[in-house]
Amino acid sequence: MAGTLDDRRAVIVGVYATKQALALPDRDPMSLAIEAVKGAAADAGLCPADLDGAQVDWPGPGGIPGDGSSWARMFGRDLRWTSDSMLDNSGVRGLLKAAAAVTAGYADTVIVGGCRLVTRGADNAPIGAGVPVEFTDVWGSYVVAQFALVAARHMHEYGTTPRQLAEVAATIRNNGSTNPEAMMYGRGPYTADDVLASRMIATPFHLLDCCIVGEGGAAFVVTTEERARDLPHPPIAVLGGGMEYHQAPYANPALYREVGQIGRDAAARSYAMAGITASDLDVFSLYDPNSFEIIRQLEALGVCAEGEGGPLAASGAIAVDGKHPVNPDGGCLSYAWNGTQQMTLKVVEAVRQLRGHAVHQIPDARLAAVGTAGSGAQHYELAVLGRSR
Amino acid sequence: MSRPVPAPSALTEPFWAAAARGELIVPQCSACGLRFFVPEPACPRCFSDTWDYVSTSGRGTVYSVTVVHRTPGAGFETPFALAIVDLDDGPALLTHVIGCDPAKVEIGMPVRVEFRRLTDEIVLPYFTADGIGD
Repeated sequence: MAGTLDDRRAVIVGVYATKQALALPDRDPMSLAIEAVKGAAADAGLCPADLDGAQVDWPGPGGIPGDGSSWARMFGRDLRWTSDSMLDNSGVRGLLKAAAAVTAGYADTVIVGGCRLVTRGADNAPIGAGVPVEFTDVWGSYVVAQFALVAARHMHEYGTTPRQLAEVAATIRNNGSTNPEAMMYGRGPYTADDVLASRMIATPFHLLDCCIVGEGGAAFVVTTEERARDLPHPPIAVLGGGMEYHQAPYANPALYREVGQIGRDAAARSYAMAGITASDLDVFSLYDPNSFEIIRQLEALGVCAEGEGGPLAASGAIAVDGKHPVNPDGGCLSYAWNGTQQMTLKVVEAVRQLRGHAVHQIPDARLAAVGTAGSGAQHYELAVLGRSR
Repeated sequence: MSRPVPAPSALTEPFWAAAARGELIVPQCSACGLRFFVPEPACPRCFSDTWDYVSTSGRGTVYSVTVVHRTPGAGFETPFALAIVDLDDGPALLTHVIGCDPAKVEIGMPVRVEFRRLTDEIVLPYFTADGIGD
């Protein structure tokens, strides 16, 4: 380990997304994870032996399923940092843990990502906690319903309308309609009326208010500012971050009065570290399991006040050409939801935006917010990313 | 796939035993007095690991509700009103509000517990509109 704290600032130097599709019947999760690892390393200009940390899904066969140290033999070197948790292997949580590792000096170059297909095999169960939950499963309260209970209370308190939700869904879905990488490429365009006319899933969510379910993998590489100097892409710095966990997912319903603004503390920490305010952010890559969750996050992240997210989101502000563009790739509503690695795709999109080669590029994007969350808003993770030179 | 059946644990066996005799009980912390749900190993306010079940009135109001039209598994008749109920003398809990059109269930509506049997062992605390005059 060498260098000053500035030299060891965490930066993202490689990103990769496999093909994302509603189903990839010719691909197994292991081959998608390997492709994601090789792709992100290659994008970083590195070979696998340069990676001394792996927070990466290991679906098997071979190795020990779920144990990230299985990657050591593939990389041909001993690892200095690893993970055996699917949530530490993806998204902002994975990013912030990798960033902490490289800045502290426990490792120099950590890869985060993989592939974990929840739609197949043993995981082919209602999407929820993944284990039996005594006071939740019996009531049929799965992920869509959990979020619906949060949305319904926000609508009751602030007058947020189904049409405002539908405007969010149409805007983000239309970004995916014109993104050739999106699972729903070519579908649409949609109007709010189309969303409102689609069948009801759980009030207030219609089918088109809800994200898609598909398959795919992704990864990114985190290293130090110093190590990044001779790598091909401009490094994208982790300028700030924060995480919040209200309680374990699904054990209890999400109460709006407890979790409606979850993300606010993570945002305050992130912005303070980065020395910015919400209005400085050029692009948002946010978790969108449904339309309402974007409205909630605009409030929690301080883009607007609590209760004002509906009118703001419906005003055109979140469009690619709006003041606060959200999910130019089409998000989970249209680009991809693939289990846990959809969270990694949020990082990938933000990095592409800041490098300047996203499919739907926000002109001169310099600061991005990446938010990952879930379980009816029981947790939230935020990172502020920016060009480091 | 049929409707999931709760598997009582050492923490929750008394809750289900009470439900089977038509009583809604919740944990109350012996140290700080907080009533909470779901049952946990220790009080979620003061971390005391001493608590006992206490009776509730079984009356409350709807805090939030969603009418579920699609469930991920079989075993549920749809649509149903999935609700969070704030007990008048206790915590919030997840339930279904029954006995009326699910679309008529509204936030703020007074409700009271109504037990319905699911299996030989499990009786569930549903809620129903708490009508005038009751």
